[in-house]
Amino acid sequence: MTLLERDPHAPDNWQGSLPVTNRYTFGLAGERFFRALKENGQITGTYCSACDHTYVPAQTYCERCLTELDDWRDIGLVGEVHTYTILHVDLDGCQKSNPEIIAFVRMGDGGLVHRLGNVAPDGIEFGMRVQAILKPPAERQGSILDILYFEPAAA
Amino acid sequence: MTSNHHAFPGTPLSEDEFRQGKILFNHDRLNGNFAWDTGIAIGSYLAGLKEGYLSGSRCAHCRKVVIPPRVVCEWCFRPMDTYVRLGDTGTVNTFSLCYVTWDVQRIIDPEMPAVIEIDGASPGHGILHKLGEVDPQALHIGMRVRAVWKPAEQRTGAITDILYFKPTGEEETR
Repeated sequence: MTLLERDPHAPDNWQGSLPVTNRYTFGLAGERFFRALKENGQITGTYCSACDHTYVPAQTYCERCLTELDDWRDIGLVGEVHTYTILHVDLDGCQKSNPEIIAFVRMGDGGLVHRLGNVAPDGIEFGMRVQAILKPPAERQGSILDILYFEPAAA
Repeated sequence: MTSNHHAFPGTPLSEDEFRQGKILFNHDRLNGNFAWDTGIAIGSYLAGLKEGYLSGSRCAHCRKVVIPPRVVCEWCFRPMDTYVRLGDTGTVNTFSLCYVTWDVQRIIDPEMPAVIEIDGASPGHGILHKLGEVDPQALHIGMRVRAVWKPAEQRTGAITDILYFKPTGEEETR
């Protein structure tokens, strides 16, 4: 007799879960950026006068000339759609009933990747002006999701 | 190398600063779920543990009994011939007294992991498990031990169905 039969009473697999958690802090500039978003509802950037460049989101150092940046600026909530994509599947690979629109919204000389809302996919144009819609102040947690989405800005 | 550094550059943060909300952060967890196929031989071993016995497998060609059971003999690469039901007693082959937990907390009563040669298996063949109900100072190689099982209704078909091995108190032959 060889041992090629599986025992029908045997557990056929072992299940488990790797308990891996992590805590990400945003760093010096990130902390101040998200504080401004949470407490004042502002999107902020830093300006390098030597390079005439406005970093959004804010950075501590200019990546062109390596100068430390301390000129913090309120960028406003309006930016332009630089590029976008439409997501039809979710994280598990299942078809989404409401496709989601993700855009890179240009602000200052940088920008944010976020959702677009209140706009049909065929109503989007490159260069379209869009405005950030924030959560009510009491619900903000100091996260990029304090911005609910960007929607077309009033002309 | 790090012993040369007394002050590390950067922004130190304390647990209190996180707790009191002074610092913004994202808490995230990996969805690290897995299922590991027990296979033919280990599956039957785990089924035996649930029933309350230890098992091995025998190669008639090499006259070897190994625990845990394997489908193929490691010496001659022939298929193993049969499963063998073994006793739940054995002899301490080697052990360690461990005064730290897995996450490096100091403990007073040591964990006592040991390799136990199981009676019925070939000499030198055993399993790694824990010892209990034994004075760490009295623990020695060659000590006779017996498995302490969980109650039948709590057994799930896992190696932890044996809580630990404890001394039998019998006279030792070696």
